[in-house]
Amino acid sequence: MSSAVSYAIWALLGLATVLLWARSRAAGPSPARPAVVLERLATGPILRVVLVLGWMWVGWHLFAR
Amino acid sequence: MPAAERRSGRHPANLAQIAWALAAAGVAYALVAAGTTAFTRSANIVTAVPIVALAVLVVVRWPLRTRRLQLDPVEAPHPWRAWAALFGAVVAWELADYAARGSRADHPTLSSMLDAVDRYFVLKAFVFFLWLYLGAAIVRRGGRRQGRQRRRSRQAPTGAP
Repeated sequence: MSSAVSYAIWALLGLATVLLWARSRAAGPSPARPAVVLERLATGPILRVVLVLGWMWVGWHLFAR
Repeated sequence: MPAAERRSGRHPANLAQIAWALAAAGVAYALVAAGTTAFTRSANIVTAVPIVALAVLVVVRWPLRTRRLQLDPVEAPHPWRAWAALFGAVVAWELADYAARGSRADHPTLSSMLDAVDRYFVLKAFVFFLWLYLGAAIVRRGGRRQGRQRRRSRQAPTGAP
């Protein structure tokens, strides 16, 4: 499999994120907005621990290591 | 009285000034962080400072016990399903690329793509700022319901049953 296929799938996932974001802002039954999703994660008893640890790991992994 | 003013007890102009000051501080910090190189002491320090700050803020601002956020099932029958599916697809593809045989160039992961972005000072500063912004949003969203509950208890009449 060439790298083009891999990049194409990443691009599709990025596009899906943008479309889902736009859909969440539409009227009527729609997915929750990103801020609401974040609030749901940050108020779950276990999810909030995972969220904070995940944020810390991402920062350390990307910028310090 | 505007909602933001009621919530905070501060004048909206002050809230805007605070928000702008925090954003400016975040941009300045991200520019400093973008000037560091991974695997060095300076990179460790500029990354550790926000991590420690978030840990302190979470302990101070978040309630010990949480109440799960519930949305109206009529207005939003499946509010999380699409996001969960997208997250699952991203994780699955990340793992597939990570485990695939061959070079990282042929099977790029999110980390390797961001490593490429981090070679450019401005882009690295932008990514670092996004990370800081996400951290601030996490602290704010996790403490939001606690704030509402405190305000409700403050607003309740003292002689109420």
